[in-house]
Amino acid sequence: MSSLLQVEALSRRFGNEAVLHSVQLTLAAEQTMSILGRSGSGKTTLLKIIAGLESSDTGSVLLNGNNLANVPPEQRGIVYLYQEPLLFPHLSTFENVAFGLRVRHTNNAEVQARTREMLGELGLNEHARKMPHELSGGQRQRAAFGRALIVQPRLLLLDEPFGALDGETRTAMQALYRRVVREHRIATLFVTHDLKEAILVGDRYAYLSKGQLTQYPNLAAFLTEPDIRAADEIHFWTSLAAQTSHPSLAIPRPDPLVKTPQEQVP
Amino acid sequence: MSTAQRIALHGPWRRQLVKLGGCIVAVSALLPLIYLALLTVADRWQAPRLLPEGLRLDRLSNVLSSSTGLLESLLLSLFIGGLVAAGSTALGFVTSRQLAYTRRLRLWLLLAYLPFAISPVVLATCLLFVFIKVHLSGTLLGVILAQIMLAYGFATILLLGLWNPHKQGLEQVARTLGANPRQVWMQVLIPASLPLLRVCFFQTFLISWAQYGLTALIGSGKVRTLPLRVFDYAMEADPAYAAVAGLLLIVPPLALLWIERRIVFKVV
Repeated sequence: MSSLLQVEALSRRFGNEAVLHSVQLTLAAEQTMSILGRSGSGKTTLLKIIAGLESSDTGSVLLNGNNLANVPPEQRGIVYLYQEPLLFPHLSTFENVAFGLRVRHTNNAEVQARTREMLGELGLNEHARKMPHELSGGQRQRAAFGRALIVQPRLLLLDEPFGALDGETRTAMQALYRRVVREHRIATLFVTHDLKEAILVGDRYAYLSKGQLTQYPNLAAFLTEPDIRAADEIHFWTSLAAQTSHPSLAIPRPDPLVKTPQEQVP
Repeated sequence: MSTAQRIALHGPWRRQLVKLGGCIVAVSALLPLIYLALLTVADRWQAPRLLPEGLRLDRLSNVLSSSTGLLESLLLSLFIGGLVAAGSTALGFVTSRQLAYTRRLRLWLLLAYLPFAISPVVLATCLLFVFIKVHLSGTLLGVILAQIMLAYGFATILLLGLWNPHKQGLEQVARTLGANPRQVWMQVLIPASLPLLRVCFFQTFLISWAQYGLTALIGSGKVRTLPLRVFDYAMEADPAYAAVAGLLLIVPPLALLWIERRIVFKVV
């Protein structure tokens, strides 16, 4: 499969601190790469350089083989989603989702039709007229998703997008994310510090530590990386299951790694 | 005695005291305004009489005539105030954004505070020499520029609070969604900052509106705004016309305050 995104020898320093050190990365079309990393590992800086919001000291970012060095963020076709939904506070949910179409001067009939369709897909139709402060955390994050998807980006960058949500909403949003990204066939870089989330959402896996990125050929190789401590996690849960006789642990649960399309919208 | 009993015992007294305090504050605030309004229509009001012997409305109607120059000064003050407020708010908005993301914020802030630290009259004295050299002394443009220099620093400091990681995030999201820098300003930053921009416009208008020393020095007495007119009447020992001018001086800010309370504070 030919690569959509190629990051070559990317480095960035802030003062004396090397935030990114010769980062190499490739991502094919329609793939999701989970990048696992702790706070301060350089995840956000990497995404911002790819989006064109930060500059790098050395290295290059290529999209479909084209160097993006002199391409401004608005012309890259790359949308960056933050941990916070960052909806525009002066616009309704409808106008937030329609924002990307409005700035492209899309005709009003098409804006109306596509925005309604997107709101329907994300279960937000009844909230179309509400202002951002009237929405719940999950609804705001869905609106932010819709706002990004409606412009049909070539690449979506997600910077711990579910980090601020409660456990239940987070699980529902992970399911929604997997469904929507698959349906829209968008390539994504998904940054998280949560191992389970990285495994659930990704097709490809990488680990970023102290500015150095390691890509893995498959999930098994990713899980054997000692720094991510997957073995400790697995040992904890299997030990707990062995030690307790609580019946819920004996109920067979669906395999979280089998990604079925039956996810519910939160 | 329990806390609940103490509150129950002192509750009614406390409420009465609060009411009394509120009345005293209200009367203290309104009495000068009532006195000012009465003075504009008073006919033969000599000490020790509490109220005037008669009323006359001709001074108010004279405002419209050109002989007093009050209407001219009112319009001039409105014009200067509007321009100074619009100019300093716009400049402060752009500058505060630049300052917020600069590394030498403290140094720039010090410069912004300087006009207040040295007082407007001292600022005018410093500017006067330069303004005379460039032929701006005694001109309307000179007064407007000098007042903008004063209000600009205030607007910059006030609007600095707008810029935080959240606002920067909005700006960056808008860029990656396809908005060019102009669209980011027009469709995101300005509308999202509108409540504080309105407050800033109102405050800088008031700075200009009440400005006396700076206007008198830079305008060299040729730019006769309403505060200068009030001072002239007071100096001429004409308290009735000074009251008329004073009344004109407080009506527009009160109207703006009313608008601000109804519109601005609803959305801030």
